[in-house]
Amino acid sequence: MTLRPPALLWLLGLAACGSPGEQRDDVGAKDRGDTTARAETPRIVLVTHGQSADPFWSVVATGAREAGGELGIRVEYQAPGTFNMVEMSQLIEAVVASRPEGLAISIPDGDALAPAIRAAAAAGIPIVSINSGARVFRDLGLSAHIGQPERDAGFAAGRRMAEAGVTRALCVNHEVGNLALDSRCEGLEDGLREAGGSALVLAVDLADPEDAQQRVRGALAREPGIDGVLTLGPAGAVPALAAVAMLRASGGLDTPLELATFDLSMPVLEAIREGAMSFAVDQQPYLQGYLAVVLLHKAIQIGAVPDGVIRTGPAFVTGDNAAEVIRLVGRGVR
Amino acid sequence: MSRDPRLAVREVSKTFGSVRALDAVSLDVRAGEVTCLLGDNGAGKTTLIKILSGVYGATDGEIRLDGASLQLSSPREALAQGITTVYQDLAIAPLMSVWRNFFLGSEPLKGRGPFRRLDPVRCESIAREELARLGVRIEDAHQPAGTLSGGERQSLAIARALHRGGRLLVLDEPTAALGVRQTKVLLRTILEVSQEDVGVILVTHNPHHAFPVGDHFVVLRRGQVIIDRAKDELSQEVLVQLMAGEDLAAGPGGPALSS
Amino acid sequence: METEPAAARSPRARRLLARPELAAALGAAVLWIFFTIQAGEPFLSRAGTAAYLNAAAPLGILAVAVSLLMIGGEFDLSVGSIIGASGMSVMLLTTHFGWPLWPALAATVGLCLSIGYLNGIIVVRTGLPSFIVTLGMLFTVRGLTIAISRGLSGRTQLGGLDGSTGYESARFLFASSPLPPFRISVIWWIGLTVAATWALNRTRYGNWIFGSGGQAETARNLGVPVNRVKIGLFMGTAVAASLVGIIQAVQFNGADTLRGTLQEFWAITAVVIGGTLLKGGYGSAVGAALGALIFGLVRQGIVMIGVNADWFQVALGTLLIAAVLFNNQVRRLVEQRR
Repeated sequence: MTLRPPALLWLLGLAACGSPGEQRDDVGAKDRGDTTARAETPRIVLVTHGQSADPFWSVVATGAREAGGELGIRVEYQAPGTFNMVEMSQLIEAVVASRPEGLAISIPDGDALAPAIRAAAAAGIPIVSINSGARVFRDLGLSAHIGQPERDAGFAAGRRMAEAGVTRALCVNHEVGNLALDSRCEGLEDGLREAGGSALVLAVDLADPEDAQQRVRGALAREPGIDGVLTLGPAGAVPALAAVAMLRASGGLDTPLELATFDLSMPVLEAIREGAMSFAVDQQPYLQGYLAVVLLHKAIQIGAVPDGVIRTGPAFVTGDNAAEVIRLVGRGVR
Repeated sequence: MSRDPRLAVREVSKTFGSVRALDAVSLDVRAGEVTCLLGDNGAGKTTLIKILSGVYGATDGEIRLDGASLQLSSPREALAQGITTVYQDLAIAPLMSVWRNFFLGSEPLKGRGPFRRLDPVRCESIAREELARLGVRIEDAHQPAGTLSGGERQSLAIARALHRGGRLLVLDEPTAALGVRQTKVLLRTILEVSQEDVGVILVTHNPHHAFPVGDHFVVLRRGQVIIDRAKDELSQEVLVQLMAGEDLAAGPGGPALSS
Repeated sequence: METEPAAARSPRARRLLARPELAAALGAAVLWIFFTIQAGEPFLSRAGTAAYLNAAAPLGILAVAVSLLMIGGEFDLSVGSIIGASGMSVMLLTTHFGWPLWPALAATVGLCLSIGYLNGIIVVRTGLPSFIVTLGMLFTVRGLTIAISRGLSGRTQLGGLDGSTGYESARFLFASSPLPPFRISVIWWIGLTVAATWALNRTRYGNWIFGSGGQAETARNLGVPVNRVKIGLFMGTAVAASLVGIIQAVQFNGADTLRGTLQEFWAITAVVIGGTLLKGGYGSAVGAALGALIFGLVRQGIVMIGVNADWFQVALGTLLIAAVLFNNQVRRLVEQRR
């Protein structure tokens, strides 16, 4: 019996499917089939917990790719579809199996990723961590972390708020359990407490922005004496801004309120420029991607890796420099 | 009559609300004989069948199987008593192999303890043989039952019933959706079956299919038995006329049609 | 009298081609060749092979159980939420209530068995489509997992399982790598596939599963305890989900409330790629295992050749359709003889 030709052809067609080269997320690529080029151009892979479509992580990816372009390194970016440690761990395993010359990873959960990271280190691949994991990277055998120490950043934000007169702040956490975000709120609390104030955490789910907005409104209405709100990301900032605006419009809020956030986005920067928001804490994600590639480049070349945390933040965007930053965000580099 | 009929239905009635679907129906079914149950739609054939297969309970009257009184509360119990009803479409799982269908619910096992298992080779050959006994030849009982024709599938259900030691076989309109050739196959199966120690009730509205295989003919109309005659008391033409409702002219035997 | 008919092609050969797993086996082979060509030596290495086998294993465990249920004619959309509940149950019992690990595992399995039993009993008693019943269970279980976790611990993610008593032995059984870099979950996967296949094809219970899916009413009339079979199958999928949750909690030293999201979807995909029909009564556990293997191959393969992991869903969707179409054509070809 012969298999019906169309079906068989179909399968073979799938197999012969065009080179995936066009779909790759990298710069300076030689054809994958050309193994000599492969040996000459080092390959660095970033594995993070955030999709490259996410505006924050796209800046990280841009920084990494531009560094790759400047240094003649092929840079790839991999991330799970959602915040999912199981998937991220599997991605690391696959990336390690593909034998890159260097690996940069974010560590939102040290416990969960430990086995994968240790296996990567055991495979002899130079690794740096970026963005999250300032507290755990050493335990996992890494020497360098590039990012913003979250607790310190929260502390700095708290101090800034206290200087502006805030006594009680709401910390809007959109991913309770993410150690980095939890640390920001803890830092905020420390910073305020130093000035005699306090803070409390409000958990929201950004999958439903309407709901998040309602929760913020509800908290502001319910809790006495809140005069500051800090969100932990641009996606959280939008509902918070809307909530405050709505309350002010309906007369439910007539006291001054300091609104601030972590990380940047166009709506956030507009809000700062217009004065609806006081400041944003910028961890300068471009540098996280850029410096990761730079460090790994030298690690690959001469085996030298700096020791410790390289702080890319906190940098503050206020009404003073908002316009300039907006211009740079338009270029995708901030 | 030297012994009890396989099935004795005595004055059985069934009412649904104000509708009297069966009215004091009595009939006998003997083992080794094919009893044809005829009548138009609404005559009460289906109701009687459903009572025999345990779907309904009778409102009045008594049913005896091999002399013992029969009280059925579910189709499963009917089957356990050895009464198999073969409907047209529902009896066979088309995607399962012939032998799996054949042995469904009564799978023979070999081995011991948790490792008791089926013996596909043996099951396949038994299924194939049992079907052949009824005049249906297939190459391979591993093939899906869906590859059998409609008549063959019903024969499979019949063979299954016989293998499980059925006492009474009820065939509900088996030829209604079959073509000419398949009808011949099925009727041949029914003839083979009538050689066994099984009582067969063939429900049909087609006297041309009933006459060649039947030994005994019961016609229902509006829930009542109007004709109950053995084959030698009838001819095919007379049967057709009787079913068409023409008055009994001259003719021996059977209860007269009450007006 | 029986004479052996001479067939144009041997029934054995025809039977082989009619096997439900054929499309999945060919699909897996084609993909393996594809990735070997595109990714080269790294894909063929131990690390590469382990990358996709380890990724396939949790889904494989789930898909095998789901395939039995689907052959039996039902769906279970709640398995993903049971994975989440299982993981959090282990974590809460150990880190919040201080239980030693093994009693926590036993209680967790018991909890999941009850969820499976509940699914089954609702489906058989009410006659509602299992799609709907288990969909409702999905929301209920996921919601309760989140609510109870937050209520008890204030968090949706818990860590530190290695602090509990019994962790070492649990790690050995669920999260070790006896043959590194291959994980023990792969052995669980293979073992469960073998057991399920044997049960399906060689036992009375397996015939009952086919019958319950293919022709439930008739099967019931023939004496098959259809309701008991179905309830058992729901408990089977629940316990498989529970096992996956436990393996992941031990492996990642913690759990979060969102774990397992969408896994029911991937499991059904793997089962269908493997040749099981959506309407029930026909299918294969081996096919489901191959479906999970294809999932792992695609998922990890495209990472190994440097493609953005976004394309994974496109690839899997295309494969699903191709596998089903191919399967259909072969089956029709085989049955055409009549």
